[in-house]
Amino acid sequence: MSLLRQVALGVAGLVVLGLSGCANPPGKPGPGPEVVNPDSIADFAVLYKANCAGCHGFDGKGGAAIALGDPVYLAVADDAVLRRVATEGVPGTSMPAFAKSKGGMLTEKQVEIIAHGIREKWAKPDVLRGADPPPYAATTAGNSSRGADVYTIFCASCHGIAGKGGKASSIVNGSFLALMSDQELRTIVIVGRPELGAPDWRGNVPGKSMSAQDVSDVVAWLASQRAQFPGEPYPQTDKSTGGTR
Amino acid sequence: MTLLGPSTRREMLMKLGIAFNTIVGAILAVPIVKYIMSPVIGGEKSGYDSWLSLGDVTQFPAGETRLAVYRNPVVNPWDGDTADLPCWVRNVDGQNFQVFHINCAHLGCPVRWFPQSKLFMCPCHGGAYYEDGSRASGPPERGLFAYDHKIETGQLFIKTGQIPAPGIASSDASSDGEEKPPCA
Amino acid sequence: MRLIETIGKWLDARLQIGETIRETAEHSVPRDTASWFYVFGSAALVVFMLQIATGIMLALIYVPSAGQAWNSLQILNHSITLGWFIRGLHGWGSDFMVAIVLIHMVQVFLFGAYKYPRELTWMVGVLLLLVTLGMAFTGQVLRFDQDAYWGLGIGVSIASHVPLMGSWIVSLMLGGPIIAGATLTRFFALHVFVIPGLLIGFVAVHLLMVIKLGINEWPMPGRIVRKATYVKEYHELTKKDGIPFVPAAVWKDMFFSGAILLAVAACAIYFGPFGPSGQPDPTIIQTAPRPDFFFLWLYAVLSFLPPSMETPAMLIGPVVVIGGLLLLPFIFGEGEKSWKRRPIAVLTILLVAVALGTLTHLATYTPWSPVMDAWSSLPIPAEYLHNRSALERQGALVFQVKQCHNCHSLDHEGGKRGPALDAVALQLTDDQLIRQVIQGGGNMPAYGKNLSPAETTALVSFLKTLHPEGRPPARDAALAHAAGSVAPATHP
Repeated sequence: MSLLRQVALGVAGLVVLGLSGCANPPGKPGPGPEVVNPDSIADFAVLYKANCAGCHGFDGKGGAAIALGDPVYLAVADDAVLRRVATEGVPGTSMPAFAKSKGGMLTEKQVEIIAHGIREKWAKPDVLRGADPPPYAATTAGNSSRGADVYTIFCASCHGIAGKGGKASSIVNGSFLALMSDQELRTIVIVGRPELGAPDWRGNVPGKSMSAQDVSDVVAWLASQRAQFPGEPYPQTDKSTGGTR
Repeated sequence: MTLLGPSTRREMLMKLGIAFNTIVGAILAVPIVKYIMSPVIGGEKSGYDSWLSLGDVTQFPAGETRLAVYRNPVVNPWDGDTADLPCWVRNVDGQNFQVFHINCAHLGCPVRWFPQSKLFMCPCHGGAYYEDGSRASGPPERGLFAYDHKIETGQLFIKTGQIPAPGIASSDASSDGEEKPPCA
Repeated sequence: MRLIETIGKWLDARLQIGETIRETAEHSVPRDTASWFYVFGSAALVVFMLQIATGIMLALIYVPSAGQAWNSLQILNHSITLGWFIRGLHGWGSDFMVAIVLIHMVQVFLFGAYKYPRELTWMVGVLLLLVTLGMAFTGQVLRFDQDAYWGLGIGVSIASHVPLMGSWIVSLMLGGPIIAGATLTRFFALHVFVIPGLLIGFVAVHLLMVIKLGINEWPMPGRIVRKATYVKEYHELTKKDGIPFVPAAVWKDMFFSGAILLAVAACAIYFGPFGPSGQPDPTIIQTAPRPDFFFLWLYAVLSFLPPSMETPAMLIGPVVVIGGLLLLPFIFGEGEKSWKRRPIAVLTILLVAVALGTLTHLATYTPWSPVMDAWSSLPIPAEYLHNRSALERQGALVFQVKQCHNCHSLDHEGGKRGPALDAVALQLTDDQLIRQVIQGGGNMPAYGKNLSPAETTALVSFLKTLHPEGRPPARDAALAHAAGSVAPATHP
């Protein structure tokens, strides 16, 4: 009799447990298909996470590439730039093309969502209040010999004499320069790498901003430092151009 | 005699009945087997091996590999999306092309092209292929399957056919280096 | 109550089966077989009945057309009242059925029940296992999603290995040159008519033999099966120490079957139906197909076979396994039944269980597959970028953009196809790193043609930073010695 009672109790317990799932069954599929057609993903967070976070970091910073979440960068680079770079990539650098028309995996609309989303999420409209940044794209040709002087004034305190490294690392390494486009160099000179401690065009020397011409000149000087055959594993001459910290 | 007679007669009639049904069965079996085997022997094969345009050659920039989609010529109205087949088109140098099946030469999973590392990678068991379709690493026994192709009036044509599989030797990848660009 | 009795009598006067049923139900079985170990066969049968019932219910809605099947499953999941629950029952029922059939088989094997005179019962049981797996595979195809589509591709690739007839078999299987509408309709016919028909037939024969030959007695060490004496001994056992199957033994079957049904329903409620995953559009290539649970082990095996072994293994493997199972009762038809005296049998089961379990476990996280979007979605861990030079950071970018992360993990994130690179600088010197990157080898593609010298230099300078704090990276002793910076090793 007591065995029967135990069994009955057990069964009743199971039934209660079973019914408890019926009010709001956790197994009921959510709305919409389980796997969305990748072309119709329109959520910025999902698209950014899948396509951009690998190099630019989860939160628009902390990746190996330039921080897209830097409001200064977003104030200097306009929507057209973001869209073009995401669509076509930057040939010669590590930025690949993402649009299907250029061999990537994203539709034009998805690129648009990403470009728009980056601005919406991280841009701060008043970050440059009162400041007048040098233009994103060069408007005047740079003068490399003047650029050497500009370098000494604005950059040498960290990057060392002739860019060969000081507090910060070398920026005239042949392989490094080979993987950077002039525009990329220019962008970094203007907006800096705040998460790495490199200031923007205003902060290199306290109280003295770089002019648009200064930026063009220093980029021209950096470009003139490019090696003819970058990436030789056993550089014959200058050992200090290696990747020293 | 009178007892045996009808009995043997009935036995014979039963045997005749069995024989009759065997013959009818054999006659019926011919069309039934033909019906079942129709995918193999049937006349529906028209269109199995037909030339099909992938569109203008200009869609495929020189030096790049792009995904192209074609509608399989042997179509039932209820095929839905499954009749749209993708393939990888490689424009080697503006004149020479290679067209690869989407199916990995290992177990048929869809390989994906990575233009940055110039590799085809398979998501199933990690087969990898170089840009010319030759095997790079992983379990595949061979390179990617390639379509026969030709260029006529500015259009790229491929020869469609059966789904490729490692055991069927009909489709061969031209991965033996014949179209490989010279060592650059 | 009296009315029911009257109707019953009226029916039996015409059907004339009441007596047979009663005799069958009350037939004497050995007392020890009223055991919790003897409940799996009946549970499998009950789950099969659940599958038939839920299958018919699903067929009310399901459209076996390549263009519409996936949509009809969406309707079942989202629009039909409790359609998702019936799908869940059918899906979980199939997993439970395979599991119970396997457990039943292990029990029968360990209890020596396949021995004389139950050889044919065992062989039909092997066929039942095969058709059950056939139901599982064809059912997975009917859930016509991406996994089903590419799963068919895997089936095609395996079938094509059959010599001479490979191409034929593929065409017959697909109903045409490619996976399309004709493929789904024939798998529908197989899943709904052909294989269930076989299953019902085999179950009938299997049950008939269980009743005619009697349930296997509890194996006692030392009680040897001999063809000459076994049948007589068994009858004496049931006569001397027998109990009627109903009700003395059947209540355990009932409780267990009920519990299993409850478990299936609980799984359906709590975990829901399986998929369908993405729509079966072959132009959507951003997918990583996975087979259903009971075929995962096979998926794992196929990743480990070296290319040269693949064809022989695919062709010979199934023949050996199925042939071995079928012939088992003829090779070991007599002798000890008890597992206590059959260590090799026990070890075989353990070995098979461990092997299948390991393979299945591996296939749930597929260490052999590249993570296709790791390069663009998984950042390099922050500490690996901390305090790095401009060149090393460019190297980190090369690492990402050349898809190294797809196969190599950093800080446990990324692909597991290749070795983790967290401490690669400890193992390889500069030159070895350059060589490995450029020439590949050891299952790594050669990147020589795909990397510029600058990219290689940047990448290697990044890889050189990958070593734990306080442990210096590997260096080329010969080079260092030649430069005179290292004193020759001294022996104490």
